Amino acid sequence: MLQAESLSCYRQERWLFRNLDFHVLPGQVLQITGDNGSGKSTLFRVLAGLSDDYDGQIDWQVPSCVFLSHRFGLNARLTAFENLTFWMTLQGESRDESEVFQALAQLDLSAQAHQPCGQMSEGQRKRVALARLILATAPLWLLDEAFSALDQSGRDRLSTICRNHIERGGALVFSSHQAVEQMTVDQTLQLGRT
Amino acid sequence: MGLVLRELRILLRSPAETVQSLMFGVLVVALFPLAITPDPEILRQLAVGLIWVVTLLTSLLAAERSLVGDFEDGTLEQMVLGIQPLWLICLIKSAGHWLSALLPLLLITPLLGLMLAMTPSAILWLLASLLLGTPILSLFCILGGMMTLGLNRGGALMLVILMPFLVPPLILGTQWAMTEGQAFYGYLLAGLLSLSLMTLPIATATVARIVVSR
Repeated sequence: MLQAESLSCYRQERWLFRNLDFHVLPGQVLQITGDNGSGKSTLFRVLAGLSDDYDGQIDWQVPSCVFLSHRFGLNARLTAFENLTFWMTLQGESRDESEVFQALAQLDLSAQAHQPCGQMSEGQRKRVALARLILATAPLWLLDEAFSALDQSGRDRLSTICRNHIERGGALVFSSHQAVEQMTVDQTLQLGRT
Repeated sequence: MGLVLRELRILLRSPAETVQSLMFGVLVVALFPLAITPDPEILRQLAVGLIWVVTLLTSLLAAERSLVGDFEDGTLEQMVLGIQPLWLICLIKSAGHWLSALLPLLLITPLLGLMLAMTPSAILWLLASLLLGTPILSLFCILGGMMTLGLNRGGALMLVILMPFLVPPLILGTQWAMTEGQAFYGYLLAGLLSLSLMTLPIATATVARIVVSR
């Protein structure tokens, strides 16, 4: 689903990562670990196709992917519901309103569906961003630090969503400082030890 | 259309920004006779140029506003990654800039014209020139705003980049209004508008891809 060969990235006079080779198949999970500043976010931006400032080759065998970064992409003046429907328009997903409310309900956000995102707490906004995963149909998910800033029940729910995605034959690349006990990981890639 | 709807919702929920643009225009025009001269003859001669310059400055002041939010909260990334054509999103952004910053000013232009002792026919030609010219300003301002996103103190750089491009519509617009509709200026202004409409959203989309890749 995603194949990278001798992927390297040089920033600010040092190699962030060099000669990475990995291969993510349908139904597989790749975890990327590394300290702060080790290049995890840069790698995600490269994998998402946002940045083409890299050496090596990436072969995307999928038409589209879902990329969630530490910037949630939620407008503070729009409600959770409006932000989600706008994102679906961008992604070309067509779903009923009821499905959007169900997705919000799954992440305990029923009461906040019509609240502007600017009035929410950080954790709530993170959940709104994660609700996209329930609505997404793209087979490849790139989740940068998705498990951080979530409470225990939030982590449980997110890992359930991810497991469902994997069981449907999707692929997942996620990054995390610490081990995520709920997730079965097929491969681990450690950055910052070159 | 979901993209347009979102832009309109955001505009409607931030009335303060629109009021700010409007206040700027009204204040300049109200202070001008006090500072220069209350003589209606002189004001009448200066009116077209003054209102055009105020419109241009209002347009510049509002340029970054609608883009900075989308850039900082990560929406721009999702826009680039999505399947919707990016030039269309940029065109909608320009339309939003025009609606929030320039349309209110256009609506009170007759009043501003009266404050500067303009005749009704002169006001009509001024409005016509602004209607044709302000969309060009919006398209360029969104391009300039996009270019300087994420730069420290990008505003000053944006002014330098944009100025040469904003002068032609300013000259053509004011000349058209002051000659009360000499066809030559009108055609040129209309041509500039259609050229900008066709090319600038595509240019802005290219810049947006570069901005998010940094």
